[in-house]
Amino acid sequence: MIDLLAAMLASLTDPVLLGLSFAGVVLGLVFGALPGVSSTMALAVVLPFTYGMETPAAMMLMLAVFFASVYAGSVSAILLNIPGTPGAMFTLLDGHAMARKGQAAQAMAYALIASILGGVVGWVLLVALAPVIAAYALNFGSPEYAAVVFFGLALVAYASSGDTLRGLAAGVIGLLVGVVGRDKVTDVPRFTFGTADLQGGIDIIPLAIGVFGIAEALNMLSRRQDAATAVPASSGPTWPSWRALMPELPTVLRSSAIGTFVGAIPAAGSAVAVALAYAVEKRLSKRPETFGTGLPRGVVAPEAANNACVGGALIPMMTLGIPGDSITAVLIGVLLLHGLRPGPGLFESQPDLILTIYAALFVAIVLTALVAATLGISVYRRILAIPHRLLLSAVLVLCVLGAFSVRNATVDVWVAIFFGGVGFAFLRLGIPVLPLAFGAVLGPLLEDNLRRTLMIHGDPWVFFERPISLVLVVVSLAVLLVPTVTSAILNLRRERQ
Amino acid sequence: MKGTAFLATAAFCAAASGALAQDFPDGPITWVVNWPAGGGQDTTSRLVAERLTDVLGVPVVVENYDGAGGLTGMRELAGAEPDGYTIGMLGASSIIQQYTTDEPVMLDQLSVLSFFGPDPGALTVAGSTDFASLDDYLASVKEAPGEIPNGNDPPGGASYISAAIMESALGLELNKIPYAGYAPTVTALLGGEVQSATVPVPQVLEHHAAGDVKILGVMAGERHFLAPDIPTFAEQGYDVVAGDFRAVVGPAGIPEDRAAVLSEALVAVLSSEEFVSAANAAGYMIEPLGAEEAGARIASFDEQVYPVLEEAGLVTNPK
Repeated sequence: MIDLLAAMLASLTDPVLLGLSFAGVVLGLVFGALPGVSSTMALAVVLPFTYGMETPAAMMLMLAVFFASVYAGSVSAILLNIPGTPGAMFTLLDGHAMARKGQAAQAMAYALIASILGGVVGWVLLVALAPVIAAYALNFGSPEYAAVVFFGLALVAYASSGDTLRGLAAGVIGLLVGVVGRDKVTDVPRFTFGTADLQGGIDIIPLAIGVFGIAEALNMLSRRQDAATAVPASSGPTWPSWRALMPELPTVLRSSAIGTFVGAIPAAGSAVAVALAYAVEKRLSKRPETFGTGLPRGVVAPEAANNACVGGALIPMMTLGIPGDSITAVLIGVLLLHGLRPGPGLFESQPDLILTIYAALFVAIVLTALVAATLGISVYRRILAIPHRLLLSAVLVLCVLGAFSVRNATVDVWVAIFFGGVGFAFLRLGIPVLPLAFGAVLGPLLEDNLRRTLMIHGDPWVFFERPISLVLVVVSLAVLLVPTVTSAILNLRRERQ
Repeated sequence: MKGTAFLATAAFCAAASGALAQDFPDGPITWVVNWPAGGGQDTTSRLVAERLTDVLGVPVVVENYDGAGGLTGMRELAGAEPDGYTIGMLGASSIIQQYTTDEPVMLDQLSVLSFFGPDPGALTVAGSTDFASLDDYLASVKEAPGEIPNGNDPPGGASYISAAIMESALGLELNKIPYAGYAPTVTALLGGEVQSATVPVPQVLEHHAAGDVKILGVMAGERHFLAPDIPTFAEQGYDVVAGDFRAVVGPAGIPEDRAAVLSEALVAVLSSEEFVSAANAAGYMIEPLGAEEAGARIASFDEQVYPVLEEAGLVTNPK
């Protein structure tokens, strides 16, 4: 503990380290806010600068870019309705709705507060529970993954209860989109229409850019006189009052815990974390129908979750040498370049480095709060002063650029445009697009893990024999069945009376 | 010290290139990586590209392509203008894809510039199993054909091919469970979901040292420099050589003098002591070979792997 404080003090008083962290935060805030530039790419851009640095300096810079870019992913979600990163996929639901009501600055303020608090919770859990969570993460085999995805799908089915049939239809289309590409077990190409471009499957970011960004921009541009759908300039105080903020604290804590734990599950990633956090808050809310209409809680939950994920993802990286997501994969690359092999031995051989990493993340959180609060929001706010037709055209250009730059592939541009058309049609037909994106994210995860489970264990009863998957399956079934059963019972009673 | 070594190599290469092609290179070189940032292909590429910049005196810019199992990047590379300004890293998976995909990039669409090094496969068993030796393990697999779960890449990936080569060389049948890359495979091995895995040594070394897994043998001609205490398969009486490798290539048709400049500069970088120690520290075996020898190595891998793919029923684009 004292060692940790000393390490934090050392990095806070070292002008070079502090300067690097500051530079990293600024870069992260810029890159993260650009649609299509994910945190992974932001880190890849900064990576070459770390070659000549000492390891602590390199970690200082990289973690600052990492944390700041995860927060900034909310900016394009709120202002442009484009999720820059998978972690911002749910922020746009209420965030952009708030922006349309003239509360863009307020939405960004909520996002910042939630991000910082989520980051702190993730950090505390990282420091306190690293070895404990690491051991738990290894108990997550294929059956548990399959069960957690099933749980996620159950929550989506519940969350789209307002329009069940249409929601389910969109979800099934999403699941079908998820099977495009080479089958992972037999290597047979599926639904690739004879083109090798689709053999690797449909990437989720261009899909999300299409169904959320392009579709929405087309929808707004197609309504000639309807200025009401544009993002109006914000009015009123940017920062929420204490009275408004206090009720959100339980949400912050719950979502941060979800973010940290899901982040610590290798390869689960922030997309799953934000989906779970959002769905849980909607489930617990007394007025679930207000979600999606510009509710601050709908911004707070995913933003706390995705920034808590940062701390969570570092847990398996540092204790097991396993990347929690593509971002920590880049960080592992940095450590490898410095001749350090992350894994169980790192805690014994490099205790100082571990403390430096803790300190680096903490400093990054503090600086992100300061920079974003003083400069960020007012700069982002100016974007709103741009006339809305111009902005929407720029959005379309950014969407196409963003889709391309995810992995430098032209096919992704076509995927984004195609799903832009699909999303536009969905919007016009009143079909929700969210389950589509959700199915596409979770489908491959479910299929891979289900099939692996069956290949290894042979029969499906294994889901009921392992404690973690048993709990998840039972809870999922409850989520699916309880509302149906209760309403059936209520109907029965009514009929008797 | 690092500086002088580089100055010397740079001076040598400047002289060499001056003699061969007066004005090549005179602009930035693009280095195509056919996998996302952070992986082995990316890390090794950046290690070389950074130093190649010093030697050639022009920026060497790494560009990551992702998608279609590495094929997107290979297409970009093979389709580039063969002027020497686009080069990139080739891995074993691209050789395999020649025969397993519909619109592959064939080896004759590329010109080989240099060999980077091998990344031999290894057989590692989970700590939860009681296999004490390779003999033990192989006896168990023979007793229960198709029962022992082995973690590897999806079909066609390097560690899948390592497992398949082992199966065909030793007459075994494993239950090959596909995971999306090395990291999830190692996770499954640590969690005991699979009993063995055929990933390369660096991926499991740290866990082996910690006693969580046990490396039973290396599938190479000689022992791995990171794990000199672990015997090869051959030393234990089994003739299995398998694994990934890396080489630097460009599109076919690069003018000979330019290819020579690149090839010499690459071998100079790959042979420098400073580079080798940095690469070794990151876990990579270096074996600098010029264009001709590299081509021969790749051709022999090509010949070794084709029958294995055929046997596994993966060939959709026959030779």
